[in-house]
Amino acid sequence: MFKRLFDWLRQPLGLIAVGIVLLTVFSLAAYGIFLTQQSSAQPIQFPHRTHVGFGIQCLYCHPGAARGPSAGIPSQAKCWGCHQQIAKTQTSALLAPLKQAVESGTPIQWVPVAMVPDFVQFNHRAHVAAGQNCEDCHGDMTLVTIAENPQVFNMGWCLDCHRKAAGEDEAKLLKLADCGTCHY
Amino acid sequence: MNSKIPEIKLSEEQTGKWGMVIDQDICTGCQACVAACAMENNLSFVGEVDAGYGRSMHWIRIERFWEGEYPEVKMTPGQPMMCQQCGSAPCEPVCPAFATVHSQAEQLNLQVYNRCVGTRYCANNCPYQVRSFNWRDYVRPEPLPNQLNPDVTVRRMGVMEKCTFCIQRIHKAEDKAKSEGRELTDGEFTTACAQACPANAITFGRIDQPESLVSQLIRKHGHGVKHLEELGTLPSVTYFKGG
Repeated sequence: MFKRLFDWLRQPLGLIAVGIVLLTVFSLAAYGIFLTQQSSAQPIQFPHRTHVGFGIQCLYCHPGAARGPSAGIPSQAKCWGCHQQIAKTQTSALLAPLKQAVESGTPIQWVPVAMVPDFVQFNHRAHVAAGQNCEDCHGDMTLVTIAENPQVFNMGWCLDCHRKAAGEDEAKLLKLADCGTCHY
Repeated sequence: MNSKIPEIKLSEEQTGKWGMVIDQDICTGCQACVAACAMENNLSFVGEVDAGYGRSMHWIRIERFWEGEYPEVKMTPGQPMMCQQCGSAPCEPVCPAFATVHSQAEQLNLQVYNRCVGTRYCANNCPYQVRSFNWRDYVRPEPLPNQLNPDVTVRRMGVMEKCTFCIQRIHKAEDKAKSEGRELTDGEFTTACAQACPANAITFGRIDQPESLVSQLIRKHGHGVKHLEELGTLPSVTYFKGG
């Protein structure tokens, strides 16, 4: 029975069938990988690249990073501070959700991109105070439109940096490698 | 075979970092600490069926005992009981997943929720019976989720939990002090139970600093009791009674 199938596959029609099957499997796999590489659907295709290009500091829109645990996502009021003076805001289709949010007073529902699980208590302030730059964890924002994570935030990666930061300082290592520093 | 039971050493000098002092003479047993703890630490409300099985989740409870024979019974002062943050904790060596570990930096017994696999050995080995287990994912009806403390993990089914000495408040206060470039001062922050206590029966602070309020209280009373100290657990909580 297998011999008959094998013989059939060896004729030109069979080879074409095999080719079609292989091509289908390959395309589906490629499409699947493509899907995993997409940034999350945001209400506005926010171009980080453009804003950083204008010379706006990260901390201007995400000031919480210097003060406390959460960096924060700016409200539409903050966007409007600059955008109300830009003529294009009134006409651009991309910026229509911002205009609509300001007029109706309903917040823009941004989808958070850089997230840690609930059992991790992360504090931006300590990391900024320790001299870490935003791009050390969040990647180069001059290269992306919607924020993407070039780095998977897992514990090995956190601890690696913590160990390096502690260096030879035993007390600092105890603190930075302690479970209770991040998990409680 | 000539084997001697090793002599148990009681710790006169406390080796821990954070400690608590509870004055049972002024505790009225009002349960404000129990409520405050539940609010601060996102405790679940298990409902009456599970509470009937003894699965109620409190990180602190008021223990009551009776003295004397009926009808001349007398109630003893209220005894708030929470994790004693033992220096040598019986819960720690029994965990197969290393989920209950000793924090070297803060000298506390930690419960790492993401490591916990729910064997419940730690709770069975705790002489104070202060650990509680999430038997289910208990639902919080709306609008109760709005009061969840964002600084504390919401635990899921199958993990053990216990009093942390409000480690989130310790971290928050330390972080604030550090951002202002100074040392943490005594009494700058306190745990939720101590904050809520209307009689100020609970005091929290550094027991390794002789000038802190807890150290002064321990010296002033002089007859503080540490529960089940004879087990060698080196608890961090000192109780005063009959002063």
